[in-house]
Amino acid sequence: MSLPVFRARTAGFWLGVGWLLLVLSGGLLAPWLPLAFLPAVPDLQHVAEAPDWAASPAHWLGTDPQGRDVLTELLYGARQVVSISLPAALLATLVGALAGGAAGFWGNKGLRLPWAGWLAGAAVGWWGFALPGRWPCSLALAGLAGLAWWHCRSRSAKLAGWPLPLDTMFQSALTLLGAVPRLVLVLVFAAGPALGTTQLVVLLVLVAWPEAASQVRAQMLRVRELPFVEAARAAGLPTSRVWYRHALPHACRPLLATAPLSLAGLIGLESTLAFLGVGRPPDIPSWGNLLGTLQQEPGAWWILASAGCALVLTLLALQQLARQLGQRA
Amino acid sequence: MMQLGRWLAAQVGRAALAAWAIASLVFLLSRLDTAKATDLLLGEADNLGTAVLRTDIDATQRQARQAVEQRLGLAEPLFYVTRTKQAGAISWHWHGLHNQYHQWLRGLLHGHLGLSFRDGQPIGPRWRAALAYTLPLTGLATLGAIAGALLVGLVLAGGPQATLSGWRAGLHTLLTGLQGLPLFALALGLLFVFANPDMLNVLPAYTGSADAEELWDQRALRLVLPVLALVLAVLPELALLLAHALRHELSTGYATTARAKGLSNSKLLRKHALPNAILPLLTALAGLLPTLVAGAVVVETIFALPGTGRLLAEAVAMHDYPVVVAGVLFSALARLLALALADALYAWVDPRIRLVP
Repeated sequence: MSLPVFRARTAGFWLGVGWLLLVLSGGLLAPWLPLAFLPAVPDLQHVAEAPDWAASPAHWLGTDPQGRDVLTELLYGARQVVSISLPAALLATLVGALAGGAAGFWGNKGLRLPWAGWLAGAAVGWWGFALPGRWPCSLALAGLAGLAWWHCRSRSAKLAGWPLPLDTMFQSALTLLGAVPRLVLVLVFAAGPALGTTQLVVLLVLVAWPEAASQVRAQMLRVRELPFVEAARAAGLPTSRVWYRHALPHACRPLLATAPLSLAGLIGLESTLAFLGVGRPPDIPSWGNLLGTLQQEPGAWWILASAGCALVLTLLALQQLARQLGQRA
Repeated sequence: MMQLGRWLAAQVGRAALAAWAIASLVFLLSRLDTAKATDLLLGEADNLGTAVLRTDIDATQRQARQAVEQRLGLAEPLFYVTRTKQAGAISWHWHGLHNQYHQWLRGLLHGHLGLSFRDGQPIGPRWRAALAYTLPLTGLATLGAIAGALLVGLVLAGGPQATLSGWRAGLHTLLTGLQGLPLFALALGLLFVFANPDMLNVLPAYTGSADAEELWDQRALRLVLPVLALVLAVLPELALLLAHALRHELSTGYATTARAKGLSNSKLLRKHALPNAILPLLTALAGLLPTLVAGAVVVETIFALPGTGRLLAEAVAMHDYPVVVAGVLFSALARLLALALADALYAWVDPRIRLVP
């Protein structure tokens, strides 16, 4: 899979990849670059000034209304992309692939849990939530679970059990998360005190995984009927292995094209949050935050030009990447 | 028809259930910590009486807090059952119907959205006043997006060859590029170009706070840029979808037959291909209204329109949870409406669905 991906691409593809690499390295290396100004430190003698390359040390891209150097903010803003949007997109794709793949493969009836498993789960739940009658009830449930397990073992019969409605659970989660638009959902959960990096990543994963998941599920519904999956089953492989090693890689094929788009969506979402000033402390440098300062200084073309270009170029590069990866190499 | 009706009801019912569940979830999560809510109201009082004795402050504060909790209905238990942990022992309590959640639900059914945490005023009137700005905004944007998508889609698909060429290819590329842009960048760009003293200063944007006596034409003029931003944000997806469907229809057998009979290309496109190609567009329309409601948050913030989106954004920034919950309900309602509308339109446009026995 690795080689054909990079074969016979247009110049636009390489330009996009080059820009993305630039953003990535800028984000990773920002603290070690020889920058004249520190992030989030105002230079109060130069507030909202257009680029002046004659001065020394020069603000190469000007300063924002708080006197922060735009170039420094841009580079540290790329750090936000690398540390928040990128992990969130990767995690969302992973979670979506696993959840959608499982829901598509096993459906509502495919995964049967033995009675002992259900009873043991109920016992643990009863004890964990400390429902009324904590000790006797959870002990009774655990005893029943042991009895069911012993019964199954002694009979050595086919495992009877109750199917886990995976697909229904999956669809309900999607309906629930789809009930309100993504932006509103993120805003609502960010309405509390300011979020840390991990919390923001988790929040973004929560709203972004359904996209990848529904695609993998749709593909899995096709893949599980294909002859090679049937052959793997007939060969006597355990079902989980058939799912993980044979069906899932095939069902994840469309993600190659949609993962860049998902990343682009998350970058847009994260910068919208920063622009609205929601969820993060306001002094964390990011592209959305920088664009937000335009509201105090509507004539600051240098901010719009630099931060806008950085954002738009990144999104266009990701779009280009998605389109090119989508065409079968 | 019977089956279709049942299917529609199930679809809308499921969406309604999801809307109720998500609103309840947000409500319960936001009320878990009542101390924070009362802090908001007492926030200013904290810094005043520094000269007064410490115990006095504590006593008055406790009293004020209790009064606020009483007024906002925060003194009652949160849910039908609550779990309390005292000295390591966990116990469950049944509270019956006198709890915040039940009161909130009952209020909703009577049309009361609750009291704002910030000023203790009812949310309903404020929300209605904001709707007077948001409804025209989203309504006009919906109409504009549909009209624009039909126009651009027909233009894009109207070329003589099977592949796009010349300016149509350029338009296609432009639309794909536009599709990836976040709404706030788009709106900022528009604001910078059209409402900037240094550039084209043709449309008003920042005219300070809106007053009620504002002339309607001024108000309409103020809506031009926000509507344009919203339309540009949702247009590419719809137009590209329609163009793709139209080109697919043009490559089918019945289109060839119609051409062989001497039908002009434009007539074929409008009379024969469009009715078939519009079905995927209707599915996309179900997602249009929620997208616009979410977009209103961004657009109203940028263009300083006092609509529901800005109300929601401000409430989020100020931790005014009852207003946030109202925002969730509103956007869920918009989605429900769009879903029902799209389904009804689908049945109206496509006779094949109606004929299913």
